[in-house]
Amino acid sequence: MYGFEALTFNIHGGYLEAIVRGHRSGLLTAADYNNLCQCETLDDIKMHLTATEYGPYLQNEPSPLHTTTIVEKCTLKLVDEYKHMLCQATEPLSTFLEYCTYGHMIDNVVLIVTGTLHERDVQELLEKCHPLGMFDSIATLAVAQNMRELYRLVLVDTPLAPYFSECITSEDLDDMNIEIMRNTLYKAYLEDFYRFCQKLGGATAEIMSDLLAFEADRRAVNITINSIGTELTRDDRRKLYSNFGLLYPYGHEELAVCEDLDQVRGVMEKYPPYQSIFSRLSYGESQLLDKAFYEEEVKRLCLSFEQQFHYAVFFAYMRLREQEIRNLMWISECVAQNQKSRVHDSVVFIF
Amino acid sequence: MEEEKKEIDFEIGMKQNQELKLEEEPQQQQKQVGDEHVLRFLDSVDNYLTLFESLSCTLRQGWLELVSARHSMGASRVNSSLLDLKVHSASTSLQVTPDIVDSMEEQPHFILRKWGSLYDGKCSYEDQNSKVDGLQGKSGSPLPRHRGKPQLSEEISPKQAPLMVDDQVQKKRSRSLSVFGTLVSPQLRAAQLSFETALETLVEIANMRSTMLSTFNGVHKELGVAKEIR
Repeated sequence: MYGFEALTFNIHGGYLEAIVRGHRSGLLTAADYNNLCQCETLDDIKMHLTATEYGPYLQNEPSPLHTTTIVEKCTLKLVDEYKHMLCQATEPLSTFLEYCTYGHMIDNVVLIVTGTLHERDVQELLEKCHPLGMFDSIATLAVAQNMRELYRLVLVDTPLAPYFSECITSEDLDDMNIEIMRNTLYKAYLEDFYRFCQKLGGATAEIMSDLLAFEADRRAVNITINSIGTELTRDDRRKLYSNFGLLYPYGHEELAVCEDLDQVRGVMEKYPPYQSIFSRLSYGESQLLDKAFYEEEVKRLCLSFEQQFHYAVFFAYMRLREQEIRNLMWISECVAQNQKSRVHDSVVFIF
Repeated sequence: MEEEKKEIDFEIGMKQNQELKLEEEPQQQQKQVGDEHVLRFLDSVDNYLTLFESLSCTLRQGWLELVSARHSMGASRVNSSLLDLKVHSASTSLQVTPDIVDSMEEQPHFILRKWGSLYDGKCSYEDQNSKVDGLQGKSGSPLPRHRGKPQLSEEISPKQAPLMVDDQVQKKRSRSLSVFGTLVSPQLRAAQLSFETALETLVEIANMRSTMLSTFNGVHKELGVAKEIR
């Protein structure tokens, strides 16, 4: 029952909530980002990060550094923290934490399948996979020729199995089918995660509903914008939108027929939470849209920490850490390419 | 007597002036030609440097757009391990033709054929047609160094043709980007366009360098001739 979590939450979740709130206080601040943005070389960035919680992961890296090394090591920190929390968690928190990684699992599956289609070496592809999305039989994905084999040989024993019912066909895997498979899987995952959070009830259901609805809406907008000018039909586009969120169902109907960014803007400005995002953009501009969405997401994720005794803090922490890694990637690339004037184009401050 | 002497002296002076003029005319013409070569050389150097700067700006923009696409779509969707290693024909090719300059020397000329010769950004549809006819008709002309067949239809009207060619170019562009997925972000498409522009600039730089070397040779020859006259 909502409101009475304070009585029982700490029995099983108190320790881990304290842990995750401690991790949250280790996120980089605006002062840290200002220092990083003034760095001249990647070694300077490494020196600044050594003084943060990333220190143990970066201090032994030899020069010259590469931007992918910085991202890889920072991701390792998140993976270590996640694994610690997962092994300490009991049900239903352990299932909740696993749900947080299914998105990465889907990305890894698509990466392996796409790379195999392009005749790439499986080992090379495995090195590029996100560590949070790894599972035991992932390397076996390379032998599948179509989605039916993909499901039967590999994915039937993974948590992604239930999501395949909507996209199992015997058609050979090609670029369009893989893209549709990716988005269909992610749609099924988001809807399943949403239902799971609703079953948990309480503050978790309330806060996670808001966060997942925002994720679903953002995906709908990105799918619409990315499919403009492609061979994806309106019906196929409509099928990729999730069946929940603020835009469901009328916003989706309108987005499905949009042919340019200004039409998308016209649809989104009818919804007050998104009006502020699109009002900041000039007409025809799409580059700042990602940053605007990330800023809105960070705001909502930070707000979830204002309440106690719910699981959304774990989801929020992981997303904030991923945003921080994206910031570090952007800053590193701007420094490496000597384009520091553009460094503030995509950095989203968390605090 | 004195008047006759003056007239004779005047006539002698006129004849000498005429002879001098006749001697100076080829020298002046030669000087004009030399100045023209020098001006052309300096123009080509200026254009060459300008093109280099333009290339640098375009490449910087392209790389940043690629990073922006990676930031937006995620590192697992935009990385080198997704590039296609299967054998496929080149979508863009470079044709090298020798141009005869001043009936004396050959100067290589580079032509970029983008997207399987469907579209050349510098040419109109009629020029494209005539170039294709020229390539197919002349047996002695050099063959383009590319694989794949041109796909121009002879039944399309001139007005509809550019639109259809544009559509086909867009499809080819999307197909080449499909290694990263079919639904890619606008930043990745912008990066593709930037690198395409950079490639065009590179070909212009090659042509400008060829012109520059040719005009330099002309200046060098003029200097050699001037030294011989002295």
